[in-house]
Formats: sequence, structure tokens, C-alpha cells
Amino acid sequence: MTARLLTPALVLLLIALASTSLLAGTVWLTPAQAAAALVDPRADLAQLVMVEVRLPRLVLALLVGGILGLSGAVLQGLLRNPLAEPGLLGVSSGASLGAVIAIYYGFAAGFTLATPLFALAGALATVAVALALGRTRGTLSLILAGIAVSAIAGAGVNLALNFAPSPYAAYEIMTWLMGSLVDRSWDHVALAAPFILVGSVLLFATARALDALALGEAQAESLGIHVRRTYLLALVGTALGVGAATAVTGAIGFVGLVAPHLVRAAVGQRPGATLLPATLAGAAIVLAADIATRLIRTGPEIKLGVFVAAVGAPFFLWLVLHVRRTGA
Amino acid sequence: MRRGSALLPACLAALALAGCSAGEPAVPSPGARPLRVMSLNQCADQLVLALLPPERIASVTWLSRDAGTSAMAAEAARVPVNHGQAEEVLAQSPDLVIAGSFTTPALRGMLRRLGYPLVEVEDAASFADIRRITRQIAEAVGEGARGEALIAGMDRDLAALARQPTQAVRVVAWDRSGFAGGAGTLQKAILDAAGARNVAPADAQRRPDMEALLAARPALLVQGSAAPAGASLGDDVTNHRLVRRLWSGRTLGLPQAAYVCGTPAIARAALGLSRSLRDRTS
Repeated sequence: MTARLLTPALVLLLIALASTSLLAGTVWLTPAQAAAALVDPRADLAQLVMVEVRLPRLVLALLVGGILGLSGAVLQGLLRNPLAEPGLLGVSSGASLGAVIAIYYGFAAGFTLATPLFALAGALATVAVALALGRTRGTLSLILAGIAVSAIAGAGVNLALNFAPSPYAAYEIMTWLMGSLVDRSWDHVALAAPFILVGSVLLFATARALDALALGEAQAESLGIHVRRTYLLALVGTALGVGAATAVTGAIGFVGLVAPHLVRAAVGQRPGATLLPATLAGAAIVLAADIATRLIRTGPEIKLGVFVAAVGAPFFLWLVLHVRRTGA
Repeated sequence: MRRGSALLPACLAALALAGCSAGEPAVPSPGARPLRVMSLNQCADQLVLALLPPERIASVTWLSRDAGTSAMAAEAARVPVNHGQAEEVLAQSPDLVIAGSFTTPALRGMLRRLGYPLVEVEDAASFADIRRITRQIAEAVGEGARGEALIAGMDRDLAALARQPTQAVRVVAWDRSGFAGGAGTLQKAILDAAGARNVAPADAQRRPDMEALLAARPALLVQGSAAPAGASLGDDVTNHRLVRRLWSGRTLGLPQAAYVCGTPAIARAALGLSRSLRDRTS
């Protein structure tokens, strides 16, 4: 497939998935009923299910998947490392820690924005620490610092679980950390969307610089690229977008890693060109996985984050082996 | 290499000897009426607290002091607590240890090996279970008559509930911890006794999702809550704006403490629930 056809194909795939997701759920609606409910203002069961349950869930899946795919593509281009993703730099675990602290210490009860703001603060803090520790000594040390910060944030989450006031609180934190889109409403969309959109703008602004950075930092500087500013844009954009996404859905891994690799074969090795297709691919992955969690009905609901990890981890393994084979 | 292989059995023998000799003196002999009882299970705690005066309780679990999930937090505050650790059992050296199915297998195994008088109780999921477990613990602590009195009190409450000529109220049990009042749970037993019919999908062992809730159209939501004061992650989702809009005046609170543990006191909770159900629907 050529690069020109890739984006329209992904958009078509997303439209197909979105229509499917509006039909998938506990309550069975025929396509005709579903379509009628979208235009009919009367508040009956079909209208409530479509407008208040399935639409916000669809919008969140697109936003969360998109920002994960986009940030993965930007970080892989920025660090020139095929394994980079928001989780690797500690953004996801920092956001999780922030959200868990907000909920666990009762800040979430005080004001509505507490959970996303704490998650953002956690994400920004991990990025700032990783940047401060790692940036001066090149991309590899930035990645290593990210892994260390990620481990620290993970330990913090475990500490919160450990000191949870009751087994029920620990159970709640744990199920939340598995990541899910179930029963999210327009309130959640309104909370996360502004941060995700601002984060996306910052991330897309790095496209030209990423192409130049593929040649190396010194070469990029000589082409007039402000490398330090590119790092800031990419990392702050990731922290804003992924932090807000994590705050409403819990941790969803592997999408940021997988999405850029899926589209790279078609667009070639130009990092800037992968951004849009990777965004669409990330949205398609999360949406498809969310549909799968609604269709697979064996006992309790499969959490979205668990499902994505169960499918994503084997891909990660394949990727590691593949990179070794082609790299050697 | 050869010296190592000779050393190993010697070490094992030494360990076994040490284990045996350490076990002997600490263990009290099982008496007919244990003077000091230690409970390692949150639900057994409540029976022990109901059956025994504080001076006969060595300790109950720390969980029982949490008013959110324990129906006897005030009573538990008057006796010492434990965290389910072996060293606490050794330090308190009770005459009887009551363990539940959530007590770690390692601790239960160790207590059995050391020869502690140990009663292991199951979790109750019905009123019949409650009668059986209450008798089991009452007899183990030598308070059979008191146990029968507790059971008789429960049966009186249940008989009063059964006399009420009520039409079952359609409800959905709604709890942020994931309890859904499915078949074979204590929560369902309380709802049934109180005259409420859970109309959530029958196979739901977890909280139904929004779509299922909308489709079931219950007259009332019976919302369980663990800690009235503290917020939690689960609240964020259970307070979906549709729930706020459609069921804001039709939500009954049922403290989680009322249905987490099967004790004779839950018939009282069912009575209270039945009363508020009738208030709301009349």
C-alpha cells in the first residue's frame, strides 16, 4: 500500500469500526433503531443508550487511542528508538500515580477536576524528572531515566495499594488501573478532550523537526531545527494528552508502541509522515479492542487495558525478535 | 561437592528438630470453655463480638474497626486488634483461634502444625449458612445458649418480614465495589427478605453496566456504599450523569457493612431496608 492510500483507508476503517461500536452493547438495537435514535430527540431507551452511553464511549475511544498512537509515533521519531512509547518514559505510570493519589486521599471528592489534574501533574512530573536526568547525556540516557522514573511511579502505585484503607479500596484501585471505557459519560469526554486536543497540537507541531532529527541532532541543528524546543513540545504534548487519557480510562499500554509500527511499512522511514496514520491506527486499535470487550461475554467484563495488553504483549515480543533479526 | 551433600541432610534434621522443640511450650491446652478468643476473619469478628464480653476476646482483625464495612466498629474499638500475622498469634497466645477462608493458607498451616486450637469457618451466603456458622462459633467458644438466642432473634425478624403483605419492588443493586446482588449472595438474601426483586440480568455477578440498568428500568436503585465520607474511584462511574438524572430521588442507601458479613444482625438490616422500600413506594 502506498502512503497516499493509507490515510483514506484508515479513515474508512475507523468509520466502519465506529458504526460497529454504536451497535455493540448489552442492549440489542437494530441498525435502523440505532440510526433513528441518533436523530430522534425523544428520550426513550434507544435514544439514551445511543446518545448518553455509546456515543461518549466512542468519542473517548477515538481520543484516547489517537493520542496514544500519536505520542508513540512522536517519541519513536524523537528518540530514534523503535521501542519508545509513553509508558516507557513513565508518562502512563506517573499519570496513574497522580490519579490514584487524587482518589485515594479524597481530593477527587473535593472538586471534579482533581483526578485529571493530579494525573496531568503526575505525567508532567515524571517527564520533567526524566528530562532533567537524561537529556544532557543523549537519548539513551533519557530512555533509561524514563524507565527508572516509571519504576518509581509504579512502586508508588503499589504503595497506595498496600496502604489502601480497606480491601475494597485496594480492589477498586486495582480494577481502575486495568483500564476501561465502560460507563464513561460526556462528563469524562469534557474533562479529557481539551487536554488531549492541546497535547495533539503540540505533538503534530514536531513533524518537520522529527524528519530533520532522523539525520541526527547535529545535522538537524544545522538545518535550523531548534532541537531543545522539539523535545519540550514532544514531551509536554505527551504528558498533557496521555495524562488526560489515563485519568479517565486508567492505564492502557502497548497502543503507543504498536500503532506507529503498523503504519511504518507503508509510509517508509520518514518519522514526520507517520504521525497522522499512527494517530488513526491508534484510534482504530483502541476502538476495535473496546468493541471486542463488549462482544466477548464470558463471565465478568474483560477490561480494555487487559485485553490490549494480552494482544499487544505478543506483538512486542515479535517486535523484539524481528528488530534483532533485521538489525544484525 | 561431596561435603556439601553430606551437610544438607544434617541441616534439614537440625531444622526439623528446631521446629519441633520451638512448638512445644507455647501452645496452650484446649479447654472446654476457651477464656481468650482471637479472630482472624472480619466476619467471625462480628460473631465473636456479639457472643463474648470484651475481656474474653484476645483480639479481632483491624478491619472490624472500619465503620464503612463493619457493622460492629464501636464494639471492635473496645478490644485489641490483629493484622492476621503469625507473630501476633504467638504474642497474644489465645486459647482459641478462629480463621476464615481469607486467612492466608500459610498462617492456617502454621497454626495447625503448632497445634493451636483452631476453628475454621466458611463465608455465609444465605440465612441457613448464618444459622450453621453462628452455631459453630457459639459452640466453639462455649456460648451455645447465647448463639441460639442470636439465631432466634434473627428468625423473629425474618418472620416479621415474611408477614408483610408486600408486592416485590423492582430494584437494581448498585455498588461501587462490584457487588450486584446476584444469585447465591448474601446481598440477594437481604433484598429478597426485604421484599425487593433484583431485576438486573440474572447472570450478573458484577454491577450491571449503564445499558443493562437502562433496559431493566428498576423502580429504585439500592446503592451500597463502603465509606459514607470518603470518595472513591468507583463513585465516579456509579454517579454517571444518567443515574443522577433518572434515579436521583429514587436511590436507597444500604451500607456495605449490612451485607458484607453473614451474622444474625443482617435480618435487622433487611427490616430497615424493607421499611425504607415501603416509604419510597407508598
